Amino acid sequence: MVCPNCRSNVSDKRIRCDRCGQDLEIYKKVYRVSNMYYNQGLAKARVRDLSGAIIALRKSLELNKLNTNARNLLGLIYFEMGETVAALSEWVISKHFQPDNNDADRYINSVQENPTKLDNLNQAIKRYNNALSFAKQGSDDLAIIQLKRVLQLNPNFIRAYHLISLLYMKNGEREKAKKCLSKAARIDVNNTTTLRYLKELEPQTAAGKEGDASVNDDKDATSSIMPVTSYREEKPNVMAFVNLIIGVLIGLAVAAFLIFPTIKNKDANNDVARNHEDYSAGLAALEEKDAIIEQLQNEKDELETTVATLRAELDSIIIPEVNPNLYDSLFEISSLLTEEFSKEERDRDFKQIAEKLRLLDTSMYETDAALQLADKFKQMVYPIASEQFYDTGHDIYGEGRYEEALQYLFQAYYFNPDNYDAIYFIGRAYHRLQDYDNAKIYYELIVNNFQDTRRYDSAKSYLGQIQD
Amino acid sequence: MINFEDEIEKFQPSLEIEQAEDVIYNNDLTDITDILKDLLKEKSKTYYDERG
Repeated sequence: MVCPNCRSNVSDKRIRCDRCGQDLEIYKKVYRVSNMYYNQGLAKARVRDLSGAIIALRKSLELNKLNTNARNLLGLIYFEMGETVAALSEWVISKHFQPDNNDADRYINSVQENPTKLDNLNQAIKRYNNALSFAKQGSDDLAIIQLKRVLQLNPNFIRAYHLISLLYMKNGEREKAKKCLSKAARIDVNNTTTLRYLKELEPQTAAGKEGDASVNDDKDATSSIMPVTSYREEKPNVMAFVNLIIGVLIGLAVAAFLIFPTIKNKDANNDVARNHEDYSAGLAALEEKDAIIEQLQNEKDELETTVATLRAELDSIIIPEVNPNLYDSLFEISSLLTEEFSKEERDRDFKQIAEKLRLLDTSMYETDAALQLADKFKQMVYPIASEQFYDTGHDIYGEGRYEEALQYLFQAYYFNPDNYDAIYFIGRAYHRLQDYDNAKIYYELIVNNFQDTRRYDSAKSYLGQIQD
Repeated sequence: MINFEDEIEKFQPSLEIEQAEDVIYNNDLTDITDILKDLLKEKSKTYYDERG
């Protein structure tokens, strides 16, 4: 044996480990009892008392988890009862404890080598779980359908037999329940649940049998009492033969007059019944065809409505005409920009390009790329153009031509609303033209929005003058 | 007499093959031998402690 303390091999005759000195007496006893339970489990498994075998083998493993035979057999029994996961688990654990020379290898391989079978077993488990959900929700029919399929996929699944029997019992289908339980009993003869359900199905039949038996007993009791008659010698009786012949003749006459016409009538009735059945079947088929025609008619109407709707939608769609000159303006701006950038910086004039960009109609543009290009041009050109308009406006303002200067300054303000110089000189130009209301508006813009700029103090001062 | 509602509650969902790993990992594999080993170890420790 292997010493549980130091894992060294020790002779079975030794009561103490040679290496670590561990007392092995008590371990030997435990192993003996574990083996005894294994033998018990094996004996029960051989007579198909699988439930009993499981209890014995579990006890064996509780005593000695390294009892590989007990664990492998437990796995086999689980597999036989349709408990695939439990079986595989036991074999994997067995393999963990004894990696070499272990039958569990063979068992695991036999399951894994057949993916179809494994998939069926897994499908059976999934369907069983579905069926259980249906049963708990009260959908017995669905649960039964699922369970029938489960039992096709895994005909040894004891739990499925129990569940389907329970559902049959609930729905009063006692014979079906009994049939399923008999199948379960053939797999595991001593299963408590199987026996309990079978017992539940027994009482009525047992009571019936008992009732019949008592009646029979009464009959037997009465029939056994016979009156005692005195012995009398039988005499030959001619009348009896005459009566017999008369009886036969009457019988033949009855047969001729009553039974034969009845048979004929019966045939006729059968024909009528058959014709009636044919007629009923024809009528049913006709009704069915009428229903199909009506359904098809409805579908046709629906489809016609759909076609009309789609046609109307199609007509309402306006396909924009492709304008070949749509992007010409953008190309022109691009060309002008290239031209300006090729000049010396001081000679560049973006005012005209900015004006073209302002007038550019992008509403018909179909691609995002064109729109993005136009925006990019605006971001690039507008600030420069604003400065250039401002410079021109400022020069003209310096020459005292205030109204003319305003046109340029407004352009500068339009292309850059943050150009505070332009705003300030708009205010100044109006001020010079004695248009105080407008001058006030632009001074206030500076005072309120551009406090940190060099124009703030002057704008505030001029605003004060106007207000005074 | 079997009560269907009580009886159906006893049925538990079956474990699927994908869950086998969890079952194996969560399996309590302590046996009497382990318990005995711990007991004997504890006993010998106490014995040596008492002897100083």
